[in-house]
Amino acid sequence: MAQHTLEVLVENSPGVLARVAGLFARRAYNIERLSVGPTANPTISQMDIVVNLEGHALEQVIAQLDKLINVISIEEILPNKAAPAVHDTQPDYQN
Amino acid sequence: MSQMTGASSLVASLEAAGVDVMFGIPGGAILPAYDPIFSSSIRHILVRHEQGAGHAATGYAQVTGRVGVCIATSGPGATNLVTPLADAAMDSVPVVAITGQVPSVAIGTDAFQEADIRGITMPFAKHNYLITNPADIPRAIAEAFHIASTGRPGPVLVDIAKDALQAMTDFNYSPSVNLPGYKPKLIPDNQSIIDAAALITQSSKPVFYVGGGVIKANASRELLELAQLLGAPVVTTLMARGAFPDSHPLNLGMPGMHGTVAAVTALQKADLLITLGARFDDRVTGKLSTFAVNAKVIHADVDPAEIGKNRFADVAVLGDLKNTISALIPALKNALGKNQPDLTPWLNQMNSLRASYPLGYDKPSDGSLSPQYVIERLGKISGPEAIFAAGVGQHQMWASQFVSYENPRTWLNSGGLGTMGYAVPAAMGAKVGAPDTTVWAIDGDGCFQMTNQELVTCALNNIPIKVAIINNESLGMVRQWQTLFYEGRYSNTSLESKRVPNFPMLAEAMGCVGLSCEREEDVDATIEKAMGINDQPVVIDFRVHRDAMVWPMVAAGASNDDIKIARETAPDWDSQEL
Ligand SMILES: Cc1ncc(C[n+]2csc(CCOP(=O)(O)OP(=O)(O)O)c2C)c(N)n1
Ligand SMILES: [Mg+2]
Repeated sequence: MAQHTLEVLVENSPGVLARVAGLFARRAYNIERLSVGPTANPTISQMDIVVNLEGHALEQVIAQLDKLINVISIEEILPNKAAPAVHDTQPDYQN
Repeated sequence: MSQMTGASSLVASLEAAGVDVMFGIPGGAILPAYDPIFSSSIRHILVRHEQGAGHAATGYAQVTGRVGVCIATSGPGATNLVTPLADAAMDSVPVVAITGQVPSVAIGTDAFQEADIRGITMPFAKHNYLITNPADIPRAIAEAFHIASTGRPGPVLVDIAKDALQAMTDFNYSPSVNLPGYKPKLIPDNQSIIDAAALITQSSKPVFYVGGGVIKANASRELLELAQLLGAPVVTTLMARGAFPDSHPLNLGMPGMHGTVAAVTALQKADLLITLGARFDDRVTGKLSTFAVNAKVIHADVDPAEIGKNRFADVAVLGDLKNTISALIPALKNALGKNQPDLTPWLNQMNSLRASYPLGYDKPSDGSLSPQYVIERLGKISGPEAIFAAGVGQHQMWASQFVSYENPRTWLNSGGLGTMGYAVPAAMGAKVGAPDTTVWAIDGDGCFQMTNQELVTCALNNIPIKVAIINNESLGMVRQWQTLFYEGRYSNTSLESKRVPNFPMLAEAMGCVGLSCEREEDVDATIEKAMGINDQPVVIDFRVHRDAMVWPMVAAGASNDDIKIARETAPDWDSQEL
């Protein structure tokens, strides 16, 4: 199965790592690799999450991640330097 | 802006959020908040168990459409809220829970009554907060109410350290929130509406598969117009009973494990499911790989993660259902103008199924009382405006099947979590939200013994609910499974509740009127007597036959094609043209 890397921007709030890790655990998805780091904006952190998922399962993980209130955006980093696929099931307009 | 304690800031924030009632129990960590509550405009109802507070908040929310609020202290107070909050999450109910937490310096030290309630509720709460800085209280409350009530509703917990409640702070409440990661999409894309309308006109066997989302979105009127425009059959899931009138000729009833033959078959044989605020739950689909195999799917929901979760959607419509259905009506009118499919053969098939396999029951041969009869009479005598809250078990399924629901928000139950003990406190919350409406809890003798203590709360606070205990002296639904799947080995399902407790005496001891009924000829008079008592809660012990079973039934994990209308009896498919 192909590895996929998700670049996830999250609010830098306490417990956000537990929210993300817990979501993977309870939906029975494995995290291959996870790193968390700061961004230029001190209120926002970046998580790079490598998963061994594709197709439907990958879509579900992204949709469920996007439901977390502290998750701001999710980008899928494609291997062959193609432009990243932006996943945002909650587009940034309030209506 | 004014200086006050964090506790006063909390209560002022709740007032600003429009809270008029909350259900709770004080304790050490939340005690600072109870001082300003004492002089607040908010009605605080002192319950007898925090689980009751949570389900009451849920019942209130389901009846009014507003956010229900419950409040508890740290540790055991907070953990007692776990079940109702998980329940509210599964059924998408807007609830805000406030809990006190040990002082911030004590957090992480296993202090007295410390429990990490934020961590405990993280897996299911829509969101939650741990507040240690009093300045954060107004913002957290504003966000909690916004998150709980918008998009797909759900429970939000705000845990506040005791020192944050005690410290002085500036009160500065603004209802507008800034949540960069939370922007529910409420207006559906035009293209998705056009695609949905086009798919509908290509269908000769469409079904409206209606879920609880229609009620949450207050979209019943729009649904009625849409369904009549197309003239296609409608099925209403357990969470959607009342979203579409049961008396309407297009309504085939409830699908799923205990659904009607017509509703289950309509989904199975359809070529198009017009799915509105439903989530393809296993109790509806049966074995997923055999569910509605020839159907295309339109899936309209406000939660993007539901689309494609269990079943692929050919057309996804993301948005609030009131907006979605309102947009679909003109689009469909337009599309039908070009291509009007003939649904008559399909409707005839479904009507024939409905006529051949109506919901029914056999009265016990020994002359004892039939539980279905009792529930049918409760519905008839109380009328279409009455509100019913059910527990979990056989009585719940019969209450869904044998009461005719004509209006949204008149049927409350624990659908997703299946929480025994839901009925009495949910009915209490419902009655607080709709004081002028008759509110019945239809409860099991097992369920009733889990949360009946809230009848004391009802008696003392002028919340005159009515409770019909369907006393089959057993954990009937489990017993039914033992009958069917465990060779009648009734391990630990006999409650002996025709001997102990004495339900009418228990009711009287709690300040209620206690009645009892075990003969069919007394049922109407007993219900009417209860209907006449409006200054006290009433409990009726309906002593019914123990072996009645819920039919139809699709066994767990089986295909909907294997629906049984009685033990080892399938519908006579050969006589039906499908
Ligand atoms: C809190 C909880 N514990 C256990 C169950 C499993 N369970 C489902 S139905 C049921 C029996 C309920 O008995 P009763 O309230 O008498 O209702 P009946 O089925 O007899 O109508 C049980 C034990 C549950 N749903 N919830
Ligand atoms: Mg029972």
